[in-house]
Amino acid sequence: MALKPSFSDEISNLLYAAHGNPINACIQCGTCSGTCPVANYMDQTPRRLIGMINADLKEDVLDCNTYWFCASCYHCTVRCPADIDIAGVMYAVKRYSIWNKTYSEDLVGPKFSEAFVKTIVRTGRSYEPILAPTYMFHFGPKDFFHEAVTASKMMLKGRIPVLPPRIKRLENFKNMIRKIIPLGESS
Amino acid sequence: MKKYAYFPGCSLEKMASSYHKSALETTEVFDIELQELDDWNCCGATTYFHVDAILAHTLVARNLAMAEKEGLDLVAPCSACYKNAYFTNDYIKNDPDLKEHINFALEEDDLQFNAEIEVFHLIDIFANDVGPDLIKEKVNNPLKGLIIAPYYGCQIVRPRKNGEEVENPQFFEDIISAMGAEPAYFPERLRCCGGSLIMTNRVAALNMVRILLQSAEKNGAHVIATACPLCQVNLECYQEQVNEEFGTDFKLPILYFTQLLGLALGISPKKLGIGIELVSATPVFSKLLPKEAN
Amino acid sequence: MAKEIKILIVDDDPDYVEGIQSTLINAGYAVDAAYNPKAGFEALESKKYDLLLLDIMMGRGAEGVMMARKINKDPVLREIPVLIITGIREQMAFLFPGQPVHPRFLPTDELLEKPVDPDLLLEKVSHLLELAEEKKTNE
Repeated sequence: MALKPSFSDEISNLLYAAHGNPINACIQCGTCSGTCPVANYMDQTPRRLIGMINADLKEDVLDCNTYWFCASCYHCTVRCPADIDIAGVMYAVKRYSIWNKTYSEDLVGPKFSEAFVKTIVRTGRSYEPILAPTYMFHFGPKDFFHEAVTASKMMLKGRIPVLPPRIKRLENFKNMIRKIIPLGESS
Repeated sequence: MKKYAYFPGCSLEKMASSYHKSALETTEVFDIELQELDDWNCCGATTYFHVDAILAHTLVARNLAMAEKEGLDLVAPCSACYKNAYFTNDYIKNDPDLKEHINFALEEDDLQFNAEIEVFHLIDIFANDVGPDLIKEKVNNPLKGLIIAPYYGCQIVRPRKNGEEVENPQFFEDIISAMGAEPAYFPERLRCCGGSLIMTNRVAALNMVRILLQSAEKNGAHVIATACPLCQVNLECYQEQVNEEFGTDFKLPILYFTQLLGLALGISPKKLGIGIELVSATPVFSKLLPKEAN
Repeated sequence: MAKEIKILIVDDDPDYVEGIQSTLINAGYAVDAAYNPKAGFEALESKKYDLLLLDIMMGRGAEGVMMARKINKDPVLREIPVLIITGIREQMAFLFPGQPVHPRFLPTDELLEKPVDPDLLLEKVSHLLELAEEKKTNE
């Protein structure tokens, strides 16, 4: 009979190997934080986040912005002396946070992910002009302005598509998705 | 002639159309055919894996299955697409349950995937299939006088694939040397450009771009060569925002390695999609030594 | 004394498992828990269960669907009745707002959506066990 899992076990269960707990191998050396190009902007550095996961500080982990600020550059992953896939851990916490709706409302990251995935599920392709309004709504006025200026410059150079692309066999594609996530009206 | 299935990815449709054009032009010189997959779908970028990684693998597997149906290995010019395709292929090869489940879904599109193909980044094709020696042989307009910063970025080399060199790769430098140009010393060449953080955490991403531009400029680069549309857009289209945010004055052209290679191969700038930059590429041409000086 | 009825729960949410486990134990069932599909299969191989309660969103994604399909293909394991208990409609609400779970692709006997009322749970459990018993005696 399995013991009630710790938070660290829960996150390990979301990882690829899903066997044992690789996160517990952390020696708190700080190589990840020293490597991370976004660490300065995070509430908690990657090293601290791993430490907090292992200390069962579930709420504090979920409250911080660290994993949403991870750019998936995998620099920490390739350098970790304990062989922890740290970028993978960030993905796992992101999934945990999306499934349980624990992310804070002022973060753009989860909104962007949700908007992006929605676009792909509906058309099979990503399309900037549909995406942009969804997440730009969460920007402050200054960011919004900058983004609009850059976008219109790119538009003038013909670098933004006018019509949303979509794949041809879209019905097949949608049925394929239903077999993986069994939601939606059956067709 | 060698033939590959080509997965351009969403960015190359418009935002990075110059990468698309120059990839086709330059591979043709080496008798390599890139056959675009019919009706390919988005690879899910990084965001799909935030929601459901199995679904993400299924989306990628649809593209892989279409390549396999043609009996071809897959080439992706975008680093994020490449990483997704490479690892999905790898996971499916090693996980029979995942393979069975994904094939159950692929049936809906009359496809199936046996994981019998290989996945390459476009730059792999030039670094390995073609190789620097053959590039050198075909170069008829060597880029003498031009100092090019080789920007690897993240996902070409990371996460580690088959025991490859992740801390000190050299293949990009070798390609640049083969063009007749000089590879700049560029200590930040493996550092992240911020990727999609430009949408979700603007200031952090702009600072990441600033560090790259600063390092390249300080080391005398005339242009940064990239091998990923996301890196290119972040470094180029957001350069003005970097200047506003940090009071800097960068005007560093950012071109795809295929555009620079194309110039070295004597292909016209127009055919390589040069001319739709937000940061003018003119300095690249003014730094080139006149042909007779070669 | 009647033979002890053994139930396995495969669900990644420890708090949820704790709640459901106590409901079932109070009703006289023997209950084991596994917190990921891999551990779930190990449990299924280690002893014989009379009923499986299965979550959908686990691990990399909707791995519960994978697990249900794999069980259904196994000549021995497919005899075990499966009750899916899932919060997928909430978990994926941003993607398929208001859309129902449709069991067409789920090779499973029953489906309940979280949160589950304890009485309803016990009713479904005993109903599935009865059906399985009937099936056995008819063979």
